Amino acid sequence: MRMCAGIRCSFEDTAQFMEGVVARLFGEDTVKVFEGFSLLVCRGEFAEAYLLRGEVADLVKGLLGSGRVPYAAGLYVGRLRKSRPTFVPSVDFLSFLYSGLGGFRRALVVGERGLKPFLYGKDVLKASVLECFEPLSKGEVVGIVGEDGFVYGVGLSVIDSCRGIEGLRNVDVVAENVFDVGWYLRGGTEARERKFKV
Amino acid sequence: MGDLPRFSDVSDPLEWVVSRVRPGRRSKAVASRWGYRPYMVERYLNILGSWAEVGRLLQSFELSVSPSVRCNTLKVRDCGLLVERLERLGFEVKPIEWAEHCFEVVGGVNTVSTLGATHEFLIGMYYLYRGRASLLPPLTLSPVAGERVCDLAAAPGGKATHMAQLMRNEGVLLACDVSRSRMRALRSNVERLGIRNAVLLRIDGRIVPDIFPSHFDRVLLDAPCSGEGLIMLDPSRKVKTSMRDLVRMHELQVELLNAALDSVRPGGLVLYSTCSIAPEEDEFVIAEVVERREDVRVERVDAPLRLSEGVEEYFGLELPDYVRLCVRVWPHIHGMEGFFMCLLRRVD
Repeated sequence: MRMCAGIRCSFEDTAQFMEGVVARLFGEDTVKVFEGFSLLVCRGEFAEAYLLRGEVADLVKGLLGSGRVPYAAGLYVGRLRKSRPTFVPSVDFLSFLYSGLGGFRRALVVGERGLKPFLYGKDVLKASVLECFEPLSKGEVVGIVGEDGFVYGVGLSVIDSCRGIEGLRNVDVVAENVFDVGWYLRGGTEARERKFKV
Repeated sequence: MGDLPRFSDVSDPLEWVVSRVRPGRRSKAVASRWGYRPYMVERYLNILGSWAEVGRLLQSFELSVSPSVRCNTLKVRDCGLLVERLERLGFEVKPIEWAEHCFEVVGGVNTVSTLGATHEFLIGMYYLYRGRASLLPPLTLSPVAGERVCDLAAAPGGKATHMAQLMRNEGVLLACDVSRSRMRALRSNVERLGIRNAVLLRIDGRIVPDIFPSHFDRVLLDAPCSGEGLIMLDPSRKVKTSMRDLVRMHELQVELLNAALDSVRPGGLVLYSTCSIAPEEDEFVIAEVVERREDVRVERVDAPLRLSEGVEEYFGLELPDYVRLCVRVWPHIHGMEGFFMCLLRRVD
């Protein structure tokens, strides 16, 4: 383990993370999507996880060996937390997962009218949900996908299954905004995102 | 040029030049008219050789440059889809002939701020450039899948992410930068564009060979510079930099280029580039480094379009022959920002 400016990075048990965290949320078959990757976890104010392939992992090992830590590396997986949600995936992780599975899992497809406010940090309302993909669980993460199939962010589900949408009014929230790609434009660390620190 | 003093004969070539840049009356008048520091105009006259060409250069710095986009093939299988979506938003785009997957935004609501706020931008379908010249270094260095590549001054990431795209996200790309704030921009771009073969490292590039000596197949050093080629994008650069600033910049650039050469494996390539047309930051850096090392050779640049040769003579000082192999992008000749590139190979 290497520490630099209060951040410690180390390679951790990839299988344990995949089976204990990713498979629990997205299904057993997701494990195969990430075969060949090593898991790097960097802990500071946040615990952030990365998946690295061969050459990238080798370079990071060399870096850690010199007493330095990377700012980021490989595929950014997301944040690991002690309380629920214990895992907040990144947009790129969900994109990679959905692409590897050939379909969506734990996701809401949102129409254009709902996507615009979402990209300004607003929550997803029932009126803008076009499709829902199981499993969903209240208080757990959900991928927010556009009609074009791209992942636009990550939400926190307020319902336990897709059937739960039926009981909501059009103006009711289906998923709270955790992270949206509008952040790339807004910059900074939004208060809402900081809520998900470890 | 046989009678001119040679670079290697002068103990401090840069000081030699600094002491000879004395703006004449006409240079002062032209500088005053166009809003430049007089020493800059005097240098342009020395390099270009005629007032007519100096006039064309200064005129070209007054013209606006169209923004460009690079379709991110790591996320977009068919760039035609991106073009369709941009056209639907009111942008008019045309392919850049010499840069595959790249488009100049020639019409419509083509402000950089608008192009940087579309859904297509946010989901990483493209990278946005203020001009086209920044596309040249990755295409010239041309890294391929599976290689070990380093970008020594990577933020905000236009060239690093372009190289990752050329590498098809395979191999490894070490992207370094020393600035904390610029590092955040680099990370945003790397995540947004779906780059998965990069390692981001906040570090002074001069330290990289201490960690990874003779390690990389290719190294890009797009060196921090005065930005004297970007006056059309930032007119404040007409007066921002003094000759002394250039000398300080030159010293840092020499140290960084030496670090780049120490980081690349024997046989590997280093591309040195700047967004400056100042010989002090360009040919003088190359000559300073190559003259003092025995393990480096300047290679001919195989750029994707025909560019101008490096400057061989400057204020009566003859530079080594090999700087002719370096290339320059002149705004008044090539219709884009001023730029410089030189390809060096480390030899055993």
